[in-house]
Amino acid sequence: MKTTEHIDIRCPRTLAEALRLQADERTRGTLLAGGTDLMVQWASGVPTPVRATSVWNLPEISAIEVCADCLEIGAGVTHAFLVDCTQVHRHLPALAAAAATVGAAQIQARGTLGGNAANASPAGDTAPALLVTGGSVVLASVSGTREVPLDRFWTAYRRIDARPDEIIVAFRLPKKGKAQERFRKIGTRRAQAISKVMAASRILVEKGRIQSVAIALGSIAPTPVRLSEVEALLAGQKPTPALIDEAEKLAQASVRPIADIRSTAEYRRWASGRLVRAALENL
Amino acid sequence: MSIVKRTWTVNGTSVAIRAPAGRRLLDLLREDLGLIGSKESCGEGECGACTVIIDDEPVVSCLVPVGQLPDGTDILTIEGIEKKRAGRLLRQAYVECGAVQCGFCIPGMVVGSYALLRKNPRPSAQAIRAGLAGNLCRCTGYAKIIAAVKLAAARLAGRRK
Amino acid sequence: MAKSLPRIRRLVGQPFPRVDADGKARGTTRYLADRHYPGLRHGVVVRSPVPRGILKAVVPDPDFDWTGIVLATAKDIPGINVVHMHDRTMPLLAEIGGEIRYRGEPVGVVAAKTPELAAAAAARVRVEVDELPPLLTLQEAVATFKSAPARFDSMKNQDIVKGDLAHGFAAADEILEAEYWAGHQEQLYLENQGLVVVPQKDGSILAEGSIQCPYFPVHELNDPLKLPPEKIRVRQTPIGGAFGGKEEYPTMLVGYAAVAALKSGRPVKIAYERHEDILFTPKRHPVWSRYKVGFKKDGTLTAIECDFILDGGAYLTISDVVMFRGILHCAVAYRCDHVTIRGKVARTHSVPCGAFRGFGAPQAIWGIESHVDAIAARLGKTPDAYRLQIHARPGDRTPTGQILSKENGATDCLRLALRRADFARKLKQCSRGRLLKGQKKYYGVGLSFFAHGAAFTGDGEAKFKAKGRVELALLDDGRPGVDIRVSSTEMGQGVHTVFTQIAADALDLDPARIRFPLADTALVPNSGPTVASRTTMVVGNVVHRAALDLKSQIEAFAALRHFRGAAARLRGSRLVAQGGKSVPFAKVAREMLAELGGASGFFQFELPADIRWDQTTFKGDSYPGYSWSANVAEIEIDPLTCEIAVKRVCAVLDIGRVVNPVTAAGQVEGGLTQALGYALLEKIGTGPNGLYDAARLQTYIIPTALDVPEFDVKFVEYPYSFAPPGAKGLGELPMDGLAPAIANAVAAAIGVRLRRLPITPEAIHAALHPVSGGAP
Repeated sequence: MKTTEHIDIRCPRTLAEALRLQADERTRGTLLAGGTDLMVQWASGVPTPVRATSVWNLPEISAIEVCADCLEIGAGVTHAFLVDCTQVHRHLPALAAAAATVGAAQIQARGTLGGNAANASPAGDTAPALLVTGGSVVLASVSGTREVPLDRFWTAYRRIDARPDEIIVAFRLPKKGKAQERFRKIGTRRAQAISKVMAASRILVEKGRIQSVAIALGSIAPTPVRLSEVEALLAGQKPTPALIDEAEKLAQASVRPIADIRSTAEYRRWASGRLVRAALENL
Repeated sequence: MSIVKRTWTVNGTSVAIRAPAGRRLLDLLREDLGLIGSKESCGEGECGACTVIIDDEPVVSCLVPVGQLPDGTDILTIEGIEKKRAGRLLRQAYVECGAVQCGFCIPGMVVGSYALLRKNPRPSAQAIRAGLAGNLCRCTGYAKIIAAVKLAAARLAGRRK
Repeated sequence: MAKSLPRIRRLVGQPFPRVDADGKARGTTRYLADRHYPGLRHGVVVRSPVPRGILKAVVPDPDFDWTGIVLATAKDIPGINVVHMHDRTMPLLAEIGGEIRYRGEPVGVVAAKTPELAAAAAARVRVEVDELPPLLTLQEAVATFKSAPARFDSMKNQDIVKGDLAHGFAAADEILEAEYWAGHQEQLYLENQGLVVVPQKDGSILAEGSIQCPYFPVHELNDPLKLPPEKIRVRQTPIGGAFGGKEEYPTMLVGYAAVAALKSGRPVKIAYERHEDILFTPKRHPVWSRYKVGFKKDGTLTAIECDFILDGGAYLTISDVVMFRGILHCAVAYRCDHVTIRGKVARTHSVPCGAFRGFGAPQAIWGIESHVDAIAARLGKTPDAYRLQIHARPGDRTPTGQILSKENGATDCLRLALRRADFARKLKQCSRGRLLKGQKKYYGVGLSFFAHGAAFTGDGEAKFKAKGRVELALLDDGRPGVDIRVSSTEMGQGVHTVFTQIAADALDLDPARIRFPLADTALVPNSGPTVASRTTMVVGNVVHRAALDLKSQIEAFAALRHFRGAAARLRGSRLVAQGGKSVPFAKVAREMLAELGGASGFFQFELPADIRWDQTTFKGDSYPGYSWSANVAEIEIDPLTCEIAVKRVCAVLDIGRVVNPVTAAGQVEGGLTQALGYALLEKIGTGPNGLYDAARLQTYIIPTALDVPEFDVKFVEYPYSFAPPGAKGLGELPMDGLAPAIANAVAAAIGVRLRRLPITPEAIHAALHPVSGGAP
């Protein structure tokens, strides 16, 4: 069904132009990047907006900049670009792994990191990998830019900390340095799947102890979440089998997943702990 | 509704477009340009039957609003695949290997295979499976499709030597 | 070992390239959506918003602009509002005052200039229903069956009785009883349902579209449309997959579109989008079966008792025959003297279930093949040795009393599959719930063994008398050739290719001179529906014999015309007389076309005279032939997540003569993949709101290329000698038995048997970590 034809889609050529459109209520539109979420929603009966503003292919937000201790990834960078980028593989391997599990080749070619974050689905594949970096989102409007830490960015189910006139322009993501990153997604099948549970982790072990730890889960709460209780348990400890057992159990106790068409609450709860275990074993 | 005018290259030919910005590329290809080889099956980007190549990347044309494609965009559909040597080899290999049954997924599958070979000219079976995971087929069980892509890749490599 | 008929022909048995592949691979093949119809209106079905109730009114919103839009309701049905199907109970469109029996039951059809306008108009039709409480699921129906059998609403019952069950159980040393469940499965043909109905000046209609069985609408809609069969013409467009899904259902679509077309006087097309297609078209029947089996210490089966209940949905449609095929496959593969099988079709207030590759057999085989493994385990026997011990062989009597013929590769299939898969060795590596040394994942190997009855049940083919023609024609290049005229439809399975091979061999003619036009009921005799794994076996024989008939006519004509009455043979596309004088086929064919107006070979299928079948008692020869198969599945389960991966599948099949090894293997690989989905991925059910709960491709999960293992497919050939070229059924067999092989592998991997399909990581987790006091 041609549900999208009547949408007034503005397709600015520059970020400045897009920001100007969004600044004025009369020209502001739903932000549309690669369309891999929104076009699907609109095709499946979610009410369509009157106006949309395309942020696809804006040169200012389509690059990856490698800084001394972080990567600044433009919001318009596609998953395919992330998968192919050696810098991302080296410094943010969980994100590279996560991007490779988004849909399949066709979706990766169009879906963007900014779009995945803005869509704010609890099952957004890149969100846990973003969260464990401890990085931030850069938002822009005509009045300037603002940086929001990722762990405060997803405020509620499908809600983000962004004003209507703002556009996500980049992600500032600290490199992993000597830490290890892991990512694991349990999906409904081996590809082209929405996750049932997924986990990303960034853990630094030095002198036999966990010096820093970040573990994040997706699809088990209204938003992607960091497991702060589990992190607190682990910080400064030796990653012994007993500690890993405890972390697995604590993770299972601390999540409140729901049942839906893809999985059960019981399985998600159990698998949350199992993925925490996978993040900790053989560090 | 906003109408956009664009000039693209479609299957190697310059084409002037005038359409609502929100029109799906799939509808434009099929209805306005008569390129009926791209098929609609799910309409939500899951099946890959409408796969085309935009600027060297495989995309599902049911999820692309035409307004997002600027002047100069290069689009390759199943109809244009035949103009490429790799495309012809793929088509022949699909036929020879028995990879075609009902055929409805096949144009998208051939286009997806073409995109895969552009990125990875000698893919392993596993790489073919991963590369075509966004193209669903309900008839074949994929075995003969994978064989066809391997055969085309081998022939392509052979001729290049 | 396999015996084979002497190979005197050229193409049968060869990997002849598909005749339809090139256009499909180029994207030039025109499916329904690719065709243009002048003056077309787009139809959208108006549906009941509730699963059950009394229909009070169907009211178009007066505030909507209805100019140029037609709304047809039951009032507009020209004749009697009933679709024939198998029991003449289902209305074409629900009547005011009548009972609504499932959510989405059609109450009207809107036709407008664009699909968008039609959908908008359909949304502005108010459907008023006085709601009644529905019974939505098989789970609820079976609960009633167990607790209050008198209140269990069965649309059809059928028993099979062999011997004396009580006697059999009395003779048993041990009895094992268990229940097996499986849910719906969606066909998920890539091309959605769709067709167009064009009203003709003489009051007749022409329907064209993605239709598996063109003659069904011709004979099913006479009452509602008030049209005799000759005034309903149906032709197929290229079909983008069907798998049974386009068997009985398109008849309904023809009816909906016809009512709107007759009212508007314009062609009306109804083409579903994916969501509507999944929501409101038939699925594979959910099943509950209960096997109670008695056996001796040595493993001999003494009694098999089986209750087999399918969820038919709201109307019977064709579910009686699906259940029949189910019960005929519940115990056919094993020796046992005392068998009672009781089949039922439960009525639920859900979308009527329908045909899907396998047609009841996968549901039956799922139960028995799980149960046989469980018995083997109880006996301390291995699954392979036990099946080799108890499987049915030529000369054995089936539960209906049929004596299995010698054209039977059962033992070969079993032995060869076990050998190719190295089953006995791999069985020792199974984890059984504890990782063995060196294993990172639970490993399991599972076996299944089964038959599929080919063609219509019993003497159905004898009664049906499939008819077909092979006739001279000028082909697209203007040169003469022959047309195959049968109603078998090409839907991806390769019938156009294998019939071309069969006709070319029978005529000894260049296959390039053979054309198989898309089926059109105005032009083809009724060779029956393209179902029941009957096409190559039955209609292939019709084509073979009709081609031989045509050949003899051509030879007789050539003898008189060119050889002064001396015998001539059509050989290598030439008419050759004794002494080697010859005339090209093209020359003779042109002469026959010009002078005789053509020539046509005809054949009507017959069964051996000694086939006996009693449809009332279900005693006798239940199928003309049986295909056999053994499947071996190897799986791994990740102990970290309970995710399951199928690593390897071996399938050995006896499908009689293999006409085309490449297309046949393609059928097998595709069927196995659908069975893999059935076993592990494809989960869909009727939700509390009466709608399917996984009605998009985002939620209904079919296998991708990454979910499918490598297949090892091998054929053994025991040809059906009565009907040359000797094929038996192929299409459904690969769908039948992989699910229990996978389930048996899962049991071998984790040490727990799961009795509900699909087997998900969630189910495995629940089995390995039972929550005390919680719901399972």
